[in-house]
Amino acid sequence: MTMEFDAVVIGAGAIGTSVAYHLAERGLKTALLEKGDIASGSSSHCDAVGLICDKQPGIDTKMGQYSIDYYEELAKKFGFDFEFERKGCLYVCETEPEFAAAEEYMKKQNADGYPLRMVENKELCEMEPHISKDIYGALYTPPSGCIAVSPYKVCFAFVEEGKKYGLESYTYCDITKINLDPKTNSVESLETNYGTIKTKRIINCAGAWAPEIGKMVGLNIPIEPRKGTNLVSEKCERLCNNKILEYGYMMSKFDGINFKRNVSPLVEEQNIAFNLEYTQANNLLVGGNRLFRGFDTRTEIETMKAICERALRFYPELADINCIRTYSGVRPFVVDHLPIVSDVDSIPGFYICAGHEGDGICFSPFTGKQMAHIVMGEDTDFDISKLDFARFGK
Amino acid sequence: MLERDVLVVGAGPAGLAASIEAAKAGADVLLVDLNMKPGGQLFKQIHKFFGSSAHRSGTRGFDIGLKLLEEAKEAGVEIWLQSTVVGAFPGNLIAIEKGVDGGAKEVITLKSKKVIIATGASENVVRFKGWTTPGVMGAGAAQTMINVNHVKPGKKIVMVGSGNVGLIVSYQLMQAGCDVVALIEAAPKIGGYAVHAAKIRRAGVPIYTKHTVVEAIPGEDGTVCKVVIAQVDDHFNPIPGTEETIEADTVTIGAGLKPATDMVKLEKCQLTFNGPFGGFIPLHNDKMETSKSGVYVAGDATGVEEANTALEEGKIAGISAVESLGLISPKEAEKRRIEIWDRLEALRMGPFGERRQQEKDNILKEYEEKIGTAVEMD
Repeated sequence: MTMEFDAVVIGAGAIGTSVAYHLAERGLKTALLEKGDIASGSSSHCDAVGLICDKQPGIDTKMGQYSIDYYEELAKKFGFDFEFERKGCLYVCETEPEFAAAEEYMKKQNADGYPLRMVENKELCEMEPHISKDIYGALYTPPSGCIAVSPYKVCFAFVEEGKKYGLESYTYCDITKINLDPKTNSVESLETNYGTIKTKRIINCAGAWAPEIGKMVGLNIPIEPRKGTNLVSEKCERLCNNKILEYGYMMSKFDGINFKRNVSPLVEEQNIAFNLEYTQANNLLVGGNRLFRGFDTRTEIETMKAICERALRFYPELADINCIRTYSGVRPFVVDHLPIVSDVDSIPGFYICAGHEGDGICFSPFTGKQMAHIVMGEDTDFDISKLDFARFGK
Repeated sequence: MLERDVLVVGAGPAGLAASIEAAKAGADVLLVDLNMKPGGQLFKQIHKFFGSSAHRSGTRGFDIGLKLLEEAKEAGVEIWLQSTVVGAFPGNLIAIEKGVDGGAKEVITLKSKKVIIATGASENVVRFKGWTTPGVMGAGAAQTMINVNHVKPGKKIVMVGSGNVGLIVSYQLMQAGCDVVALIEAAPKIGGYAVHAAKIRRAGVPIYTKHTVVEAIPGEDGTVCKVVIAQVDDHFNPIPGTEETIEADTVTIGAGLKPATDMVKLEKCQLTFNGPFGGFIPLHNDKMETSKSGVYVAGDATGVEEANTALEEGKIAGISAVESLGLISPKEAEKRRIEIWDRLEALRMGPFGERRQQEKDNILKEYEEKIGTAVEMD
């Protein structure tokens, strides 16, 4: 059987479903191919928030803010509920030096017009009555800059809403070959277990698996799987009122800052960054970490213990709450921490939209819309040339 | 992280026997069990065992249990009670939620060179209207209540199932002072040994063959107060119009057991379905090793049988584990395994046993065909 589409999107995670939705909305006859089920990869094995305050000042933050606001617009527009909620975010600073560094960051963001502010210990304890009383302070982002969604429902929402514009999704689809025109090297068709699919446009949204698709057309896409783990609590009181993250972790990762958190070797070795959020079902999600483990997504007991140890430093009452489940997923890691949202000069009709690491959920609506602009040959809403694939050739 | 030579999960007859064998050979053995006391079901078996003298016939279950505990202590087996395996992790790490003083729990990460799974079995349920009403329970649970905890589950009992568990527990419930008002069996004949059935009959318990429970009716307090039974046709479907209502406050269900395979699944051992042994069981060879190298099984977890076969299988698992640790010679291990398999064959005789012997042979054969040699896994 041969099918023909204007555009074929590969990968039905938060990025692929958004791209597929936006292309269908623009009137392209679009197919979404997924090797597993919708949201079966990273987008169902992650946390559930979109923030501006974990982004570098500048374009990174701008994209985040755009996406967050766009999410709200979609939540109103879509019939499919994806548990959109605005909430505040606290980047908690364990010590004075962390607080000072957070303040520097805040000033930069304030200069760009983002209303972040510092809260000191007393106010923090009022905002978060269950937090350890000795936490120095926090960087607060109001709900204008932080949202929560159900990540897998976001994927399903894009697919279901896309169907209204004729989007067709093919799950459990094995792509065996991508055919290029021998003369022009442009995209011609794909061979799959559903048969041959003719198309002039392929958008590779396969996240951590994007390099596999890249290889089929001779491209080396520099994305690596990076594992992250979260713990799920039993249903309980909402211990926190805001999304909570630790600032010290971000600081210890900044280039050029010689900062070391006062943490145990286990926490250090497991690369733990504490974060906590409540869900609409009243379970708590406790995270998290990042480790390179290939595509092995089995959870590790030492990681779990390390997450718990770090979480108890900030929320001692977690000791009395049971963990009911853990999960790990891979994040598509790019060495410069920026996604690839781009066409490919050497292969007309081939596009890459992947490598969002931990920002895929946050950037999903923004990315889908910009990718649609690129595919349609239009200008993007603002300059995202930093996300060009060509940057790796230089 | 804690390290041990051998982890044994489940301190019933299989687990205790495995631990003793391994510890006697010099292995560092940790035995964990989720209950407050070790011994598995042995301590609720107040009846005398059948079988040959080599298998302690005439001995009561709890006496066997006491002896095993003593041997385990002498051999230096470390026992953690109220402790549960909560996960198997990459690198062959096992997480154990350890019960510590004061009812608190602590999660311990263990790296064990060998693992022996002796997790036993769980009771099957029969579903009917009202089967979740308080007062409906497994026959094994009722037996634990009377013989271990010394608490009567109720005053008037309807026992469902006439296998040996149904028969023995009915009798023990009467010994404990309960009134067994009916014994219900869907088949046309009693399932268990005639000697047990005769005891019940003599005591005047009405036995309803070709019957089933159709409803447990709760009273004002929400617990069972009436039980509706009915005759069944040849396909075990209730025949309308044959319903009878019995005044009773407890329904105990002795509908057989199924192997507890949760831990085996955690370890990703290959399973096979075996009806006579009670459901899915781990494939294993004559060393009791599963498809995963270094992981052994024994007792009801490998197919539901009884305490004596569990004991013998436990010994094989223990011997094989220490053999692969190099603590005893392959020659010695093989010699002892052959002796034990001979004894197992003697246990698997008679109308019930022959079938099990045949199935056991099939399982060993299936292992050779499908697996051959256990696979190293991380």
